[in-house]
Amino acid sequence: MALPLPRGLTPPEVAFICEMELVTVIPRQRLDALELLGGPTPALRPPHRNNIPLWLALLLKRQRRANIVPPPWLQPAALSAILEFETKHAKDVFSPPPKLPPSADGSNMTSPPFLPSSTADAPPDALPYHWLELGEMLLNAAPDDFEEPDQVRRLMRDLREVRMAKLRAGVDVLDAGGGVKMNGVGGMEVAEGRAFIGGVIDGLRKIGASREQSRREGEADGGANGYGRTADYDDDEMDV
Amino acid sequence: MDIDDILADIDREALPQESLDLQELTRAWVTERVAPELLPYPDALMERVSARIRRQIELVEEQTGNMDPKTNFSLIIIQTELERFKFLVRSFLRARIAKVLIRVRKQYLSAHHALLSSHYQASFLSQFPPLLQRLDDTAGGVSMVDAPDLDSAVFVRVLKDVGVVSVEGTDTIFEMQRGDVFVVRWRVVRERVLVGDAELI
Repeated sequence: MALPLPRGLTPPEVAFICEMELVTVIPRQRLDALELLGGPTPALRPPHRNNIPLWLALLLKRQRRANIVPPPWLQPAALSAILEFETKHAKDVFSPPPKLPPSADGSNMTSPPFLPSSTADAPPDALPYHWLELGEMLLNAAPDDFEEPDQVRRLMRDLREVRMAKLRAGVDVLDAGGGVKMNGVGGMEVAEGRAFIGGVIDGLRKIGASREQSRREGEADGGANGYGRTADYDDDEMDV
Repeated sequence: MDIDDILADIDREALPQESLDLQELTRAWVTERVAPELLPYPDALMERVSARIRRQIELVEEQTGNMDPKTNFSLIIIQTELERFKFLVRSFLRARIAKVLIRVRKQYLSAHHALLSSHYQASFLSQFPPLLQRLDDTAGGVSMVDAPDLDSAVFVRVLKDVGVVSVEGTDTIFEMQRGDVFVVRWRVVRERVLVGDAELI
Protein backbone atom coordinates (compact mmCIF):
# COMPACT_ATOMS: atom_id res chain seq x y z
CA MET A 1 0.00 0.00 0.00
CA ALA A 2 2.53 2.52 1.13
CA LEU A 3 4.83 3.80 -1.55
CA PRO A 4 8.16 2.02 -1.12
CA LEU A 5 10.09 4.81 -2.84
CA PRO A 6 12.51 7.27 -1.27
CA ARG A 7 11.69 10.98 -1.14
CA GLY A 8 12.01 12.74 -4.51
CA LEU A 9 10.71 11.91 -7.97
CA THR A 10 12.16 8.96 -9.85
CA PRO A 11 13.16 9.36 -13.53
CA PRO A 12 10.03 7.49 -14.76
CA GLU A 13 7.88 9.85 -12.66
CA VAL A 14 9.65 12.86 -14.17
CA ALA A 15 8.98 11.42 -17.63
CA PHE A 16 5.32 10.93 -16.67
CA ILE A 17 5.05 14.63 -15.78
CA CYS A 18 6.86 15.58 -18.99
CA GLU A 19 4.19 13.74 -20.99
CA MET A 20 1.73 16.45 -19.89
CA GLU A 21 3.72 19.09 -21.84
CA LEU A 22 1.90 20.48 -24.85
CA VAL A 23 3.39 19.73 -28.28
CA THR A 24 2.24 20.66 -31.76
CA VAL A 25 0.99 17.92 -34.11
CA ILE A 26 -0.03 17.82 -37.74
CA PRO A 27 -2.86 15.28 -37.85
CA ARG A 28 -3.07 12.83 -40.74
CA GLN A 29 -6.58 11.74 -39.76
CA ARG A 30 -9.61 13.45 -38.35
CA LEU A 31 -10.24 13.09 -34.66
CA ASP A 32 -13.22 14.63 -32.89
CA ALA A 33 -12.83 16.77 -29.82
CA LEU A 34 -12.79 14.68 -26.66
CA GLU A 35 -13.89 15.53 -23.13
CA LEU A 36 -11.00 14.19 -21.10
CA LEU A 37 -10.54 14.25 -17.33
CA GLY A 38 -7.88 16.92 -17.65
CA GLY A 39 -9.99 19.12 -19.94
CA PRO A 40 -11.12 19.01 -23.58
CA THR A 41 -8.81 18.16 -26.50
CA PRO A 42 -9.20 20.12 -29.75
CA ALA A 43 -10.80 18.52 -32.80
CA LEU A 44 -8.03 17.43 -35.19
CA ARG A 45 -8.56 18.18 -38.90
CA PRO A 46 -5.71 17.49 -41.32
CA PRO A 47 -3.64 19.42 -42.19
CA HIS A 48 -4.29 21.96 -39.44
CA ARG A 49 -1.81 22.11 -36.62
CA ASN A 50 -2.97 21.73 -33.03
CA ASN A 51 -1.41 21.64 -29.59
CA ILE A 52 -2.09 18.51 -27.54
CA PRO A 53 -0.40 16.84 -24.55
CA LEU A 54 2.71 14.82 -25.37
CA TRP A 55 1.24 11.49 -24.18
CA LEU A 56 -1.59 11.87 -26.70
CA ALA A 57 0.78 13.01 -29.44
CA LEU A 58 2.95 9.91 -28.86
CA LEU A 59 -0.13 7.67 -29.04
CA LEU A 60 -1.24 9.27 -32.33
CA LYS A 61 2.30 9.09 -33.69
CA ARG A 62 2.65 5.41 -32.85
CA GLN A 63 -0.55 4.71 -34.81
CA ARG A 64 0.63 6.93 -37.69
CA ARG A 65 -2.32 9.22 -37.19
CA ALA A 66 -0.20 12.36 -36.74
CA ASN A 67 3.25 13.88 -37.13
CA ILE A 68 4.87 15.83 -34.31
CA VAL A 69 6.44 19.23 -34.95
CA PRO A 70 9.67 19.39 -32.90
CA PRO A 71 9.81 22.58 -30.80
CA PRO A 72 12.05 25.38 -32.16
CA TRP A 73 14.66 24.95 -29.40
CA LEU A 74 15.12 21.32 -30.50
CA GLN A 75 16.50 22.37 -33.91
CA PRO A 76 20.25 21.96 -34.54
CA ALA A 77 20.87 25.70 -34.96
CA ALA A 78 19.09 26.55 -31.70
CA LEU A 79 20.80 23.76 -29.77
CA SER A 80 24.23 24.82 -31.10
CA ALA A 81 23.60 28.39 -30.00
CA ILE A 82 22.51 27.27 -26.52
CA LEU A 83 25.49 24.91 -26.30
CA GLU A 84 27.83 27.73 -27.22
CA PHE A 85 26.25 29.93 -24.55
CA GLU A 86 26.59 27.16 -21.96
CA THR A 87 30.27 26.56 -22.74
CA LYS A 88 31.55 30.05 -23.56
CA HIS A 89 29.38 32.62 -21.80
CA ALA A 90 27.93 30.99 -18.73
CA LYS A 91 30.67 28.75 -17.41
CA ASP A 92 29.24 28.24 -13.92
CA VAL A 93 25.50 28.55 -14.38
CA PHE A 94 22.88 27.01 -16.66
CA SER A 95 21.58 28.97 -19.62
CA PRO A 96 18.48 30.94 -18.58
CA PRO A 97 15.19 29.01 -18.88
CA PRO A 98 12.14 30.42 -20.69
CA LYS A 99 10.59 33.11 -18.50
CA LEU A 100 7.42 32.29 -16.60
CA PRO A 101 4.49 34.20 -18.13
CA PRO A 102 3.90 37.61 -16.55
CA SER A 103 1.62 37.58 -13.53
CA ALA A 104 0.51 41.14 -12.89
CA ASP A 105 -1.68 40.50 -9.86
CA GLY A 106 0.34 37.49 -8.68
CA SER A 107 -2.45 35.04 -9.41
CA ASN A 108 -0.90 33.19 -12.35
CA MET A 109 0.52 30.05 -10.75
CA THR A 110 0.87 27.98 -13.92
CA SER A 111 4.29 26.36 -14.21
CA PRO A 112 5.86 23.48 -16.16
CA PRO A 113 4.63 21.08 -17.48
CA PHE A 114 1.53 23.21 -18.17
CA LEU A 115 3.21 26.09 -19.98
CA PRO A 116 3.45 25.92 -23.78
CA SER A 117 7.25 25.82 -23.81
CA SER A 118 7.59 22.98 -26.32
CA THR A 119 4.96 23.84 -28.92
CA ALA A 120 5.86 24.96 -32.44
CA ASP A 121 5.74 28.63 -31.39
CA ALA A 122 7.84 28.25 -28.22
CA PRO A 123 10.95 30.45 -27.95
CA PRO A 124 14.01 28.96 -29.73
CA ASP A 125 16.64 30.36 -27.41
CA ALA A 126 15.93 28.67 -24.06
CA LEU A 127 15.85 25.10 -22.78
CA PRO A 128 12.55 24.48 -20.95
CA TYR A 129 12.33 22.56 -17.67
CA HIS A 130 11.68 19.19 -19.35
CA TRP A 131 14.14 19.67 -22.24
CA LEU A 132 16.05 16.44 -21.76
CA GLU A 133 13.10 14.09 -21.26
CA LEU A 134 11.04 15.69 -24.00
CA GLY A 135 13.92 15.71 -26.48
CA GLU A 136 14.73 12.07 -25.85
CA MET A 137 11.11 10.96 -26.09
CA LEU A 138 10.62 12.77 -29.40
CA LEU A 139 13.88 11.41 -30.82
CA ASN A 140 12.83 7.89 -29.85
CA ALA A 141 9.22 8.01 -30.96
CA ALA A 142 9.39 10.37 -33.93
CA PRO A 143 12.91 10.48 -35.42
CA ASP A 144 11.36 10.82 -38.90
CA ASP A 145 9.78 14.14 -37.87
CA PHE A 146 13.26 15.66 -37.47
CA GLU A 147 15.28 16.91 -40.40
CA GLU A 148 18.59 15.89 -38.83
CA PRO A 149 17.88 13.54 -35.93
CA ASP A 150 21.49 12.43 -35.54
CA GLN A 151 22.72 16.00 -35.33
CA VAL A 152 20.06 16.78 -32.71
CA ARG A 153 21.00 13.66 -30.77
CA ARG A 154 24.68 14.64 -30.75
CA LEU A 155 23.96 18.19 -29.58
CA MET A 156 21.63 16.92 -26.86
CA ARG A 157 24.37 14.61 -25.61
CA ASP A 158 26.91 17.45 -25.56
CA LEU A 159 24.50 19.72 -23.71
CA ARG A 160 23.77 17.03 -21.20
CA GLU A 161 27.46 16.48 -20.50
CA VAL A 162 28.25 20.18 -20.16
CA ARG A 163 25.34 20.68 -17.77
CA MET A 164 26.07 17.57 -15.70
CA ALA A 165 29.63 18.85 -15.23
CA LYS A 166 28.20 22.15 -13.98
CA LEU A 167 25.89 20.33 -11.59
CA ARG A 168 28.88 18.46 -10.16
CA ALA A 169 31.11 21.54 -10.02
CA GLY A 170 28.30 23.43 -8.28
CA VAL A 171 28.87 21.29 -5.20
CA ASP A 172 31.73 23.67 -4.30
CA VAL A 173 29.30 26.48 -3.53
CA LEU A 174 26.96 24.36 -1.41
CA ASP A 175 26.89 25.18 2.27
CA ALA A 176 24.89 24.21 5.32
CA GLY A 177 22.41 27.05 4.94
CA GLY A 178 21.32 26.04 1.45
CA GLY A 179 19.76 28.89 -0.49
CA VAL A 180 21.68 27.90 -3.61
CA LYS A 181 20.23 29.34 -6.79
CA MET A 182 19.88 26.81 -9.62
CA ASN A 183 17.88 28.68 -12.26
CA GLY A 184 17.62 26.80 -15.52
CA VAL A 185 18.08 23.33 -14.02
CA GLY A 186 16.01 20.65 -15.76
CA GLY A 187 13.50 18.18 -14.28
CA MET A 188 15.60 15.10 -15.00
CA GLU A 189 18.69 16.89 -13.70
CA VAL A 190 16.90 17.61 -10.43
CA ALA A 191 15.89 13.95 -10.16
CA GLU A 192 19.47 12.82 -10.75
CA GLY A 193 21.14 15.41 -8.53
CA ARG A 194 18.65 15.47 -5.66
CA ALA A 195 20.09 12.67 -3.55
CA PHE A 196 23.65 13.96 -3.91
CA ILE A 197 23.06 17.71 -3.55
CA GLY A 198 20.49 17.25 -0.79
CA GLY A 199 22.84 14.83 0.95
CA VAL A 200 25.75 17.28 0.88
CA ILE A 201 23.66 20.16 2.26
CA ASP A 202 22.06 17.97 4.93
CA GLY A 203 25.47 16.53 5.86
CA LEU A 204 27.05 19.98 6.20
CA ARG A 205 24.11 21.12 8.29
CA LYS A 206 24.49 18.19 10.69
CA ILE A 207 28.22 18.86 11.05
CA GLY A 208 27.53 22.48 11.91
CA ALA A 209 24.37 21.85 13.94
CA SER A 210 25.72 22.56 17.42
CA ARG A 211 27.41 25.76 16.30
CA GLU A 212 24.20 26.84 14.60
CA GLN A 213 22.20 25.95 17.69
CA SER A 214 24.33 28.09 19.98
CA ARG A 215 24.20 30.95 17.51
CA ARG A 216 20.42 30.72 17.34
CA GLU A 217 20.22 30.79 21.15
CA GLY A 218 22.56 33.78 21.14
CA GLU A 219 20.32 35.58 18.65
CA ALA A 220 17.23 34.81 20.71
CA ASP A 221 18.86 36.08 23.94
CA GLY A 222 20.24 39.16 22.24
CA GLY A 223 16.85 39.92 20.73
CA ALA A 224 15.11 39.60 24.09
CA ASN A 225 17.51 42.01 25.75
CA GLY A 226 17.61 44.45 22.87
CA TYR A 227 21.34 43.91 22.41
CA GLY A 228 21.12 41.79 19.27
CA ARG A 229 23.70 43.72 17.34
CA THR A 230 26.28 43.80 20.11
CA ALA A 231 25.91 40.09 20.73
CA ASP A 232 26.54 39.35 17.05
CA TYR A 233 29.53 41.61 17.05
CA ASP A 234 31.03 39.74 20.01
CA ASP A 235 30.51 36.47 18.23
CA ASP A 236 32.42 37.69 15.21
CA GLU A 237 35.27 38.90 17.37
CA MET A 238 35.65 35.50 18.93
CA ASP A 239 35.85 33.81 15.54
CA VAL A 240 38.86 35.98 14.64
CA MET B 1 -0.07 46.23 -16.77
CA ASP B 2 0.91 45.75 -20.41
CA ILE B 3 -0.76 43.77 -23.13
CA ASP B 4 1.15 40.57 -22.21
CA ASP B 5 -0.26 40.66 -18.70
CA ILE B 6 -3.77 41.14 -19.94
CA LEU B 7 -3.41 38.30 -22.41
CA ALA B 8 -1.90 36.05 -19.75
CA ASP B 9 -4.79 36.73 -17.39
CA ILE B 10 -7.41 36.10 -20.05
CA ASP B 11 -5.63 32.87 -21.00
CA ARG B 12 -5.68 31.75 -17.43
CA GLU B 13 -9.35 32.49 -16.89
CA ALA B 14 -10.24 30.60 -20.03
CA LEU B 15 -8.90 27.35 -18.57
CA PRO B 16 -11.72 24.93 -17.65
CA GLN B 17 -11.95 23.64 -14.07
CA GLU B 18 -10.82 20.19 -15.29
CA SER B 19 -7.47 21.58 -16.47
CA LEU B 20 -6.97 23.63 -13.31
CA ASP B 21 -7.67 20.51 -11.23
CA LEU B 22 -5.13 18.49 -13.20
CA GLN B 23 -2.54 21.19 -12.49
CA GLU B 24 -3.43 21.24 -8.82
CA LEU B 25 -3.39 17.45 -8.49
CA THR B 26 -0.03 17.19 -10.24
CA ARG B 27 1.42 19.83 -7.95
CA ALA B 28 -0.04 18.15 -4.84
CA TRP B 29 1.45 14.82 -5.91
CA VAL B 30 4.93 16.25 -6.57
CA THR B 31 4.85 18.17 -3.28
CA GLU B 32 3.86 15.07 -1.33
CA ARG B 33 6.55 12.98 -3.03
CA VAL B 34 9.24 15.56 -2.27
CA ALA B 35 8.38 17.17 1.10
CA PRO B 36 9.73 15.55 4.28
CA GLU B 37 6.42 15.76 6.15
CA LEU B 38 2.72 14.96 5.62
CA LEU B 39 0.87 17.96 4.14
CA PRO B 40 -2.79 19.06 4.42
CA TYR B 41 -5.16 16.88 2.40
CA PRO B 42 -6.85 18.72 -0.52
CA ASP B 43 -10.42 17.56 0.26
CA ALA B 44 -12.40 19.50 -2.33
CA LEU B 45 -9.95 18.74 -5.14
CA MET B 46 -9.91 15.01 -4.42
CA GLU B 47 -13.69 14.90 -4.29
CA ARG B 48 -14.02 16.58 -7.70
CA VAL B 49 -11.35 14.36 -9.24
CA SER B 50 -12.79 11.09 -7.87
CA ALA B 51 -16.29 12.01 -9.05
CA ARG B 52 -14.96 12.67 -12.56
CA ILE B 53 -12.96 9.43 -12.58
CA ARG B 54 -16.10 7.53 -11.54
CA ARG B 55 -18.14 9.10 -14.35
CA GLN B 56 -15.42 8.40 -16.89
CA ILE B 57 -15.27 4.73 -15.86
CA GLU B 58 -19.04 4.48 -16.36
CA LEU B 59 -18.70 6.04 -19.79
CA VAL B 60 -16.03 3.52 -20.76
CA GLU B 61 -18.17 0.64 -19.52
CA GLU B 62 -21.17 1.84 -21.53
CA GLN B 63 -19.24 2.30 -24.75
CA THR B 64 -17.01 -0.78 -24.68
CA GLY B 65 -19.61 -2.80 -26.57
CA ASN B 66 -19.60 -0.29 -29.42
CA MET B 67 -17.71 -1.77 -32.36
CA ASP B 68 -17.59 1.39 -34.50
CA PRO B 69 -13.84 1.83 -35.15
CA LYS B 70 -13.99 5.60 -34.75
CA THR B 71 -15.58 5.51 -31.29
CA ASN B 72 -13.24 2.67 -30.52
CA PHE B 73 -10.16 4.78 -30.99
CA SER B 74 -11.63 7.64 -28.93
CA LEU B 75 -12.21 5.08 -26.22
CA ILE B 76 -8.56 4.05 -26.30
CA ILE B 77 -7.57 7.66 -25.74
CA ILE B 78 -10.09 8.09 -22.94
CA GLN B 79 -8.89 4.93 -21.26
CA THR B 80 -5.23 5.88 -21.60
CA GLU B 81 -5.93 9.19 -19.91
CA LEU B 82 -8.04 7.49 -17.27
CA GLU B 83 -5.10 5.23 -16.39
CA ARG B 84 -2.83 8.27 -16.12
CA PHE B 85 -5.25 9.94 -13.71
CA LYS B 86 -5.66 6.81 -11.65
CA PHE B 87 -1.88 6.54 -11.40
CA LEU B 88 -1.63 10.16 -10.19
CA VAL B 89 -4.29 9.69 -7.52
CA ARG B 90 -2.92 6.34 -6.38
CA SER B 91 0.68 7.49 -6.19
CA PHE B 92 -0.38 10.62 -4.31
CA LEU B 93 -2.32 8.57 -1.74
CA ARG B 94 0.43 5.98 -1.39
CA ALA B 95 3.02 8.68 -0.74
CA ARG B 96 0.73 9.95 2.04
CA ILE B 97 0.16 6.47 3.47
CA ALA B 98 3.92 5.96 3.68
CA LYS B 99 4.12 9.09 5.84
CA VAL B 100 1.04 8.23 7.93
CA LEU B 101 2.55 4.81 8.67
CA ILE B 102 5.58 6.56 10.11
CA ARG B 103 3.17 8.39 12.46
CA VAL B 104 1.45 5.18 13.54
CA ARG B 105 4.81 3.58 14.06
CA LYS B 106 5.74 6.56 16.20
CA GLN B 107 2.73 5.97 18.46
CA TYR B 108 3.74 2.37 18.93
CA LEU B 109 7.32 3.41 19.57
CA SER B 110 6.40 5.98 22.17
CA ALA B 111 4.44 3.37 24.14
CA HIS B 112 7.32 0.96 23.77
CA HIS B 113 9.77 3.65 24.75
CA ALA B 114 7.84 4.55 27.92
CA LEU B 115 8.19 0.96 29.11
CA LEU B 116 11.80 0.80 28.10
CA SER B 117 12.79 4.05 29.77
CA SER B 118 11.17 3.15 33.10
CA HIS B 119 13.03 -0.15 32.92
CA TYR B 120 16.32 1.59 32.15
CA GLN B 121 15.67 4.08 34.91
CA ALA B 122 15.08 1.34 37.45
CA SER B 123 17.97 -0.87 36.44
CA PHE B 124 20.86 1.48 35.76
CA LEU B 125 20.16 5.05 34.67
CA SER B 126 19.37 6.18 38.24
CA GLN B 127 22.95 5.41 39.20
CA PHE B 128 24.40 7.63 36.44
CA PRO B 129 25.27 11.28 37.06
CA PRO B 130 22.14 13.40 36.32
CA LEU B 131 23.73 14.87 33.20
CA LEU B 132 23.86 11.47 31.50
CA GLN B 133 20.40 10.25 32.48
CA ARG B 134 18.50 11.85 29.61
CA LEU B 135 17.30 9.74 26.70
CA ASP B 136 16.33 12.69 24.50
CA ASP B 137 19.71 14.37 24.41
CA THR B 138 20.63 16.52 21.40
CA ALA B 139 24.20 17.31 22.45
CA GLY B 140 26.87 17.36 19.77
CA GLY B 141 24.33 17.95 17.03
CA VAL B 142 23.13 14.36 17.23
CA SER B 143 19.56 13.99 18.39
CA MET B 144 18.68 10.79 20.23
CA VAL B 145 15.14 11.22 18.92
CA ASP B 146 14.33 10.45 15.30
CA ALA B 147 11.70 12.75 13.74
CA PRO B 148 10.88 13.92 10.21
CA ASP B 149 13.80 16.17 9.35
CA LEU B 150 12.08 19.48 8.60
CA ASP B 151 15.45 21.01 7.83
CA SER B 152 16.25 18.65 4.96
CA ALA B 153 17.05 20.27 1.63
CA VAL B 154 14.33 20.62 -1.04
CA PHE B 155 14.28 22.01 -4.58
CA VAL B 156 11.80 24.85 -4.90
CA ARG B 157 10.54 27.04 -7.76
CA VAL B 158 9.38 30.55 -6.80
CA LEU B 159 6.01 31.54 -8.31
CA LYS B 160 5.56 34.95 -6.70
CA ASP B 161 8.14 37.59 -5.75
CA VAL B 162 8.72 36.87 -2.07
CA GLY B 163 11.64 39.16 -1.26
CA VAL B 164 14.67 38.48 0.92
CA VAL B 165 14.68 35.32 3.00
CA SER B 166 17.21 34.40 5.66
CA VAL B 167 18.09 30.99 7.06
CA GLU B 168 17.96 31.17 10.85
CA GLY B 169 21.25 30.36 12.57
CA THR B 170 23.40 30.85 9.44
CA ASP B 171 24.72 33.72 7.34
CA THR B 172 22.62 32.63 4.38
CA ILE B 173 20.42 35.37 2.95
CA PHE B 174 18.88 35.21 -0.52
CA GLU B 175 16.19 36.89 -2.57
CA MET B 176 13.31 34.81 -3.96
CA GLN B 177 11.98 36.16 -7.26
CA ARG B 178 9.33 34.69 -9.54
CA GLY B 179 10.93 32.04 -11.73
CA ASP B 180 13.95 31.36 -9.49
CA VAL B 181 14.88 27.81 -8.50
CA PHE B 182 16.60 27.20 -5.15
CA VAL B 183 17.90 24.35 -3.08
CA VAL B 184 17.01 25.27 0.47
CA ARG B 185 15.85 23.89 3.81
CA TRP B 186 12.23 22.81 3.82
CA ARG B 187 11.57 24.75 7.05
CA VAL B 188 12.60 28.03 5.38
CA VAL B 189 10.14 27.77 2.46
CA ARG B 190 7.43 25.60 4.07
CA GLU B 191 4.91 28.40 4.61
CA ARG B 192 5.56 29.82 1.13
CA VAL B 193 4.84 26.44 -0.45
CA LEU B 194 1.68 25.91 1.64
CA VAL B 195 0.18 29.26 0.52
CA GLY B 196 1.28 28.70 -3.09
CA ASP B 197 3.95 31.40 -3.46
CA ALA B 198 6.42 28.67 -4.36
CA GLU B 199 6.26 25.03 -5.44
CA LEU B 200 8.45 22.02 -4.74
CA ILE B 201 9.98 20.33 -7.77
